[in-house]
Amino acid sequence: MLEVVDASVAYGPIEAVSGLSIRVEPGQVVAIVGANGAGKTTLMKAIAGILPLAAGRILLEGRDITAMPAHRRVAAGLALSPEGRQVFPDQSVRDNLELGAWCRDLRPAALEAAIEEQYALFPRLRERRDQMAVTLSGGEQQMLAIARALMARPRVLLLDEPSLGLAPLVIREIFAIIRGLRARGITVLLVEQMANLALGIADHAYVLETGRVTLSGSGAALLQHPQVRAAYLGAGH
Amino acid sequence: MLATLLQALVSGLAIGGVYALLALSFSITFTTTRTLNFAQGEFIGVGAFLGVTLLYLLAPGEGGSFSALAPVAAEGGRYPVAAAAAGAALGALGLLLFLAAIRPFAGKPGMSWVMSTIGFGIILQSLGLAVWGPAPVNMPSPFGDGVIRLGGAGVRPQEVAVLVVAVLLMLALDITLRRTRLGKAMRAVAHDPAVAALMGIPVTAIMLGAFALSSALAGLGGVLVAPIASASLFMGMGIALKAFSGAILGGLDNPRGCIFGGFALGLLESGVALWQAQWREIAVFLIIILVLAIRPNGIFGRRALDKV
Repeated sequence: MLEVVDASVAYGPIEAVSGLSIRVEPGQVVAIVGANGAGKTTLMKAIAGILPLAAGRILLEGRDITAMPAHRRVAAGLALSPEGRQVFPDQSVRDNLELGAWCRDLRPAALEAAIEEQYALFPRLRERRDQMAVTLSGGEQQMLAIARALMARPRVLLLDEPSLGLAPLVIREIFAIIRGLRARGITVLLVEQMANLALGIADHAYVLETGRVTLSGSGAALLQHPQVRAAYLGAGH
Repeated sequence: MLATLLQALVSGLAIGGVYALLALSFSITFTTTRTLNFAQGEFIGVGAFLGVTLLYLLAPGEGGSFSALAPVAAEGGRYPVAAAAAGAALGALGLLLFLAAIRPFAGKPGMSWVMSTIGFGIILQSLGLAVWGPAPVNMPSPFGDGVIRLGGAGVRPQEVAVLVVAVLLMLALDITLRRTRLGKAMRAVAHDPAVAALMGIPVTAIMLGAFALSSALAGLGGVLVAPIASASLFMGMGIALKAFSGAILGGLDNPRGCIFGGFALGLLESGVALWQAQWREIAVFLIIILVLAIRPNGIFGRRALDKV
């Protein structure tokens, strides 16, 4: 479905991601875990097309999209819910959702139906639909960011640090939503610092350290892996 | 006394409408690209001259000479045609400006775009001088030169027309920005181009559109003002500077604030002129400096803190 082959991304002379390869199969939830600064967000930005690759290729459904500009990748089937949520603060919840479907160029009736779909999935957003996004709580903004990405009807949904800065209860709620997406057959690539949560729902996962994949395997297997337990889950958990 | 006040009010609203329209044109490029077109003044002058040229060409023979067009040249729907055409031509020029003077420098450190847009304006003005010469020319108003009596005050119909057109245009732009798909995309780009691209919005196309729109407003502004003053390649400098001041006063990142700032400046200007004409500029700019000392981001500008 989505394949990153030998990808490197550099900020000037510093390589944040080097020679990295990952695969996402249809219907899977694939997680990328790793410490702060391991290159997770850099990788997501490169896949979404807002950072260029210094080397390597990105394939979506077999098609090489390495040189495709970011805005066209959305139409090709990739939608990113970015780190820090990045909702449009001075626009309403409804208008944020509308912007998410920009590439589909829907007629008004179809647009309203698509927005309704997201309201059904995230009832909290329906309650807040006319509020400016800046007035939402962190958890609500995260829901909006995910719903906005889903508005593009992506082939692969990219979620970058959905738990960032949220309270434990809210994080649980967000992960329940991601589990729900998986149940609906949506393919998800998830980047997450909360390794235990991410591995718990991942069909397959990669561990990233200083821009390289150091371990990979099924989510369940990595949860049991001594190296992962020591480095990311903390002893005794 | 009341008549004089009324007269100053109408003049202030008319010129304020032009300032407001152009303040909005500065805001449009600033919010979407964080850059400004410092050739906007030259665009106004060229727009006015294009308008005069079109009137001259559309009324062969009956319109009189180029430098002194007869009122008949502006009649029969020729004036709106000339205004629209000048707007469209300057809009196209705005595309060129973006590609040549903004795109290579936007988003990069340094302020090269300031110099490149000023340079673009100087080149444009020099070309204009080569084509049209330095002398100001008269542009007839489609409503004639007569004066309407309004409660004892003499009001020129062109002033009323300028105000009405400016207000209608600003209303249309405000609705476009708030209600349409395109306007929402423009505001998304204004907030963060990278995040807008993640929505599938073609960011460069939106920025091109912003420059075309902003430049078209300058061209249109030139055609609107020319019958009140006269068309000159140097007329735009003062107008653009006042419009820019209005934008800064109201808050460059707030379109409605810019409209307010433009009108405030126009009214202030004509109000002070009532009292002492030669104090006009001094008083206006002293007040601007005072306001900015208290509110550095303009009266309705976003505070820097909100951007975190």
